[in-house]
Amino acid sequence: MEEYPVQTTWLRHKGWTYGFRTTVLLYFVILIVLPIAGVYAYSFSEGWTPFWESVSDPIAWKAVLLTLKLALIATAINVLIGTMIAWVLVRYRFPGRAVLNSLVDLPFALPTAVGGLMILLLLGPNSWVGSIAERLGFDIVFHQPAIVIAMVFVTFPFVIRAIQPLLEEMDPSAEEASYTLGASRATTFLRVILPQISPGIVGGAMLAFSRALAEFGAVVLVAGNIPAKTLTASVFIYGEVESDNNLGAAAVSVLLLTLSLIILWLINRVQRRGGRS
Amino acid sequence: MGYKKRNSAGQVKRVSGLLAAVVLFGSMLAGCGGQRSAEGSGGASQQGDVTLVIGAYSVVKDSVQDIIPLFQQKWKEETGQTVLVQESYEASGTQARAIVGGFEADVTLLSLEGDIDKLTKAGLVDKNWKEKPEGGMITRSVVAIGTREGNPLNIGSFADLAKPDVKVLYPNPKTSGGAQWDINAVYGAGLKESERATGAKDSAYAKAFLESVHANIESLDKSGRASMAAFEYGVGDALVTYENELIARNNQGAKYEVVIPDDTILIENPAAVVDENVDKRGTREVAEAFLDFLWSAEAQQIFAEDGFRPVDPAVYAKFEANYPEPPGLFDIEYLGGWSEVRETLYAKRGIWYEVLAGI
Repeated sequence: MEEYPVQTTWLRHKGWTYGFRTTVLLYFVILIVLPIAGVYAYSFSEGWTPFWESVSDPIAWKAVLLTLKLALIATAINVLIGTMIAWVLVRYRFPGRAVLNSLVDLPFALPTAVGGLMILLLLGPNSWVGSIAERLGFDIVFHQPAIVIAMVFVTFPFVIRAIQPLLEEMDPSAEEASYTLGASRATTFLRVILPQISPGIVGGAMLAFSRALAEFGAVVLVAGNIPAKTLTASVFIYGEVESDNNLGAAAVSVLLLTLSLIILWLINRVQRRGGRS
Repeated sequence: MGYKKRNSAGQVKRVSGLLAAVVLFGSMLAGCGGQRSAEGSGGASQQGDVTLVIGAYSVVKDSVQDIIPLFQQKWKEETGQTVLVQESYEASGTQARAIVGGFEADVTLLSLEGDIDKLTKAGLVDKNWKEKPEGGMITRSVVAIGTREGNPLNIGSFADLAKPDVKVLYPNPKTSGGAQWDINAVYGAGLKESERATGAKDSAYAKAFLESVHANIESLDKSGRASMAAFEYGVGDALVTYENELIARNNQGAKYEVVIPDDTILIENPAAVVDENVDKRGTREVAEAFLDFLWSAEAQQIFAEDGFRPVDPAVYAKFEANYPEPPGLFDIEYLGGWSEVRETLYAKRGIWYEVLAGI
């Protein structure tokens, strides 16, 4: 780190650092730590038994399991497609590339309910795709495929945006060396490129997974919300709040939060390890 | 009075500057929140305007918006006052919660008694709100089945919904209080059937009946509106909802078949003055007048045209051909009243929970 020339001494006053640190800490505590701690405290406010009762309700734990399953599928799809898209956006030059690149972030800007509505319109029974699917004997909308599609849509940018910078900064010499030593394209990708972008893939995938777990707006529109079949955890929680069972809602939220915390902690570890090697 | 004339110009300038600041500040306050401006002009203010805040459930929106101008005209003729109306439309349960949470509605129209009970429990509505015409109910309807044009699957009763390969839609009463009517109707039809067979109401039979219909559920939507939307996107063969919802859709050009089962439940929608709020804001007089106006022939006529069954006998007589009374019609008392229904059907581990969880 370079030292900047400092003209005035008051700018170097220790108070600045303390003030800044306090502000950041306060911000963090008020906006993030307090609400989350509140959910934990509330769900255990009446002791362990009501918490356990809420979580062991078959409708509740089946909703959580279903959400985990569908979020995993959605993440897998995003890892595959996201890696390919990142690759194309970084390695190829074609007209419209810049536009495509900025389009990637759109799912973040769009209210997720609008995404859900689009899925309904484009894949519903009255649509072209929906009618073909129906003739082939499987349903998309109001069944599990629609939930996965909604999750993929909402979490689309994560993997791409995590991989892109790694691909861009990659040293081409290692790849060239691999080719000159006679390695095939596949071997080069698997042994040279993949290890370098894998922290991005893992980090992006885990963020996407966390986000998919909590997705509500799009899912509630396209899922049938039938317990054990198409009821996801977030919709279940909404139902509990609506029927004045806040404790049940908080208990299931705690399950989701804990899972997400573990995942985020894992990301941190993976990324730190990736950075070191 | 004329002394120190030299200063007066400066004074005027200063005063006008101050005035401008006050006006600016005032308009900022007014712009900041509708709530505040409502408080300011609540009751009889200088210009003789009065603000009435209506908090209603979303389904009555069209009717209420047609009724408001009639009421404004009538009130103007009678008192010379102009009524300014602020309206809010939400799902019934959400609206009730909003009012409990501090939304200062003067008059509330909700889809079921249970939601008014939330307000009486919070001490906002007087316990005697039912001492009004028709027990405080402004409209009626029945739970009906909507099918595709021409009723291709020949659905005529709730029992037909349990046939194989019928895809059924209805909202979840856990997320939508109004959906309790739908489930009450199916459950009650089961009770009716058992009563005809054995002479006594058999709740186990009714539960099995509800389960057999629920086995065909295609989507359990979060609200009646969401159910209707799904049906419009082409999902499902039959939709359990209120008669007035289906008629409203058909009025807008949809071509659904409105099947009224022989055994179904009579829906009654209440309205009430929120006593706590009208006393605080000094709007009792106009709020009471608006509530009473909902039972007038003019208002009832509008409700009837929008698909509701009017509670006014004379207006109902006019529309009777459109709203035939099904032979096996029952009301909430047949199920033991709302408190009984809440305890047996919708309690935490009640019948509806068991049907949902498949226990």
